[in-house]
Amino acid sequence: MSADEPVKTAKTDGTDWIERIWNFFTSLKLVVFLLLMLAALSIAGTVIEQNKPLQEYYRFYQPGTVALFSRLGLFDMYHSWWFVACLSLLALNIAACTMDRYRGIMAGMRKKNLVIDEKLSKSLQNLTTIRYALPLDVVEKKVAALAGKGFPGKPVVTQAEDGGRHYFFEKGKYSRLSFFVTHLSILIIFLGAISGSFFGYKGYVNIFEGETVSQVETRAGRIQYPDFQVKCNTFNAEFYPSGAPMDYRSDLSILQNGKEVIRKTIRVNDPLTFEGVTFYQSSYGGQPDQAAIDVVNRDGALIGTVTAPFGGKVDIPGVADQMEAADYQEHFPMSDGADGGRAVGVNIYPVTGSPVGLWLLVNHPEYDKQRGGDTYFRVRDLKLKKYTGLQVNRDPGEILVWLGSILLIAGIMIAFFMSHKKLWISLRTDKKGRSELTIGGTANKNRDAYAKEMEQMIQSLKEVS
Amino acid sequence: MTNSLLFGISIFVYFFAMVLYVSYLAFRSEMLGKAASLSMLGGVVVETAALGMRWYESYQLGIGRAPLTNLYESLAFFAWTIALIYLVLERKFKIRTVGAFVAPFPFLIMAYASLNPNDIQPLVPALKSNWLIAHVVTCFVGYAAFAVSFGVSFLYLLKAGSEKRSPKSAGSFWDFLPSSSALDEIGYKTIAIGFPLLTIGIVTGAFWANVAWGTYWSWDPKETWSLIVWLIYAAYLHARITRGWRGKRAAILSIAGFAATIFCYLGVNLILSGLHSYGGAS
Repeated sequence: MSADEPVKTAKTDGTDWIERIWNFFTSLKLVVFLLLMLAALSIAGTVIEQNKPLQEYYRFYQPGTVALFSRLGLFDMYHSWWFVACLSLLALNIAACTMDRYRGIMAGMRKKNLVIDEKLSKSLQNLTTIRYALPLDVVEKKVAALAGKGFPGKPVVTQAEDGGRHYFFEKGKYSRLSFFVTHLSILIIFLGAISGSFFGYKGYVNIFEGETVSQVETRAGRIQYPDFQVKCNTFNAEFYPSGAPMDYRSDLSILQNGKEVIRKTIRVNDPLTFEGVTFYQSSYGGQPDQAAIDVVNRDGALIGTVTAPFGGKVDIPGVADQMEAADYQEHFPMSDGADGGRAVGVNIYPVTGSPVGLWLLVNHPEYDKQRGGDTYFRVRDLKLKKYTGLQVNRDPGEILVWLGSILLIAGIMIAFFMSHKKLWISLRTDKKGRSELTIGGTANKNRDAYAKEMEQMIQSLKEVS
Repeated sequence: MTNSLLFGISIFVYFFAMVLYVSYLAFRSEMLGKAASLSMLGGVVVETAALGMRWYESYQLGIGRAPLTNLYESLAFFAWTIALIYLVLERKFKIRTVGAFVAPFPFLIMAYASLNPNDIQPLVPALKSNWLIAHVVTCFVGYAAFAVSFGVSFLYLLKAGSEKRSPKSAGSFWDFLPSSSALDEIGYKTIAIGFPLLTIGIVTGAFWANVAWGTYWSWDPKETWSLIVWLIYAAYLHARITRGWRGKRAAILSIAGFAATIFCYLGVNLILSGLHSYGGAS
């Protein structure tokens, strides 16, 4: 990410086709092109809603457009072959660039030049010579102490033939590795996402209060847990006075061999994980459990009450017929289109003849009167069973995604805010017997800041007396 | 409510700051420049009090939550971060002339915020999380750095254009602006501050989504647009490695990056639909 040190790559004319391919994959143009291409392509998926049922698209687009978009994979574009191809190309590009720069970065970390010579001095910044009237060993002591303040590590000292000494200080050497950290972290995230999609799943399960399940439904089919069950002890939804939701929580237990091993109340931001499987609070609902149904004479006199469990036939008092509570609707559509509220679907089984189906409305007790006949039915009480809707995930790649994310952040921080700084100081006695100091430095990044740092150091070195 | 009054005052202070920054550029008077910076600082102080007051008042209502959870609050916080981060960077990089291009944002954003309902609502279950503050703050400070970078890049384009037309014009208006190479460098440095923060914002968002919804990345429009912003600035940073992409092309990428940022922040909520609908207008 450094903008200061030109990137050195061994580019050749590319006459060899392998070299040409290599040069293509390591070119900076490809990186910039792919990043901007992915950005541009991603926009499409935010404008066209993704993964909707096909009939919804027909409401928005012409049939020809739907067919075209469908063929192009635009309805699930982030998994389309062309988007995945772009991502794969990016991964290859990152891998190739990492290999390409490996040697250069490693070379930058080596202590190559320990002495300021003619060639090195050309590339140094703040190259300055200071002369002192003091003896060399006094100067050396003070200078080493001053420079040591900015560079905590031990300097490399080289003895020169003319009796002088050369000091080499450096710090932040390992910040050069930030290139690998940032780029490999992206590959690690990709690897995590891929292994998650191959070896993980997302499932859903509804559990009624008091019930236990050991399997969940996924897109690919049903998954069975052989060695544990999940029990929903209770589910509660709380609301603010305004009607906005306040809290959804399920009291869950994990059972193994009939014994409770974990019990936890999960909420929207607080899931439960067991053996790599995580249970998230996702939805909730109710299903009828049993209905108490009054049998009423046309004149309003109560003949009797039937308690009908859902899915079971019971006798109707006063007649030989049987009834079964078979169906339920939260919002029954009235003939005029109004919301009729909760309704129980009942099947009547006469002694002779075929069964009759009818709807009884909880909020409209007289509704069944319209059927005619001597008696009618009305719902006295309806017991609902609550269930909690859980999302169930297993994602073995998740840990790689988080590892990659942390490395990415760390790498970017190091790349932007740290640099490899080097400082050379040469000390010798000149022909006139004065002590002569030559100082210069380099940094691989943020050279302006380092130049200011060095100016200060040079100023304090000049003041040595 | 006291917080509404304070937010109202901050709109006026930001307005003055904007006028002063533009006058500073027009009349090139150091006095006006100092007044502009002070006025912006005043706006930040008033709005800090407003945000603190709103936070405090939410506790008095028995709700008790950070003021970061609906469109009004996020706009107010966005204006606040832009003003604050701008002042910090103005001091650091000595770029008061950029103020004329950044100062309109806090004012316009606050003015737009004032059109939205500002009652303090309790949190829905999905937002009740410790990740809320970390996620929102990192994203917004990142956005604010990009806003400053936008101002700098805009000024760069003006300055570079003038340098091309008349290379030497001592004492002119153009001479008053920082050199184009300095602007180019500052534009890069502000992005170097924003990019790591955006990265942290995306990662904390993914982590939170995984805890709340059981999926760290679902390609919902907000997530996708934050990735688009990230990709554009990543392209910018890579492009700068070669000398060829400094200057004009870098400035244009930086402006495109900020346009995408604004769309990611506002456009997605107002135009597109998705999981992140808390910040929506309704």
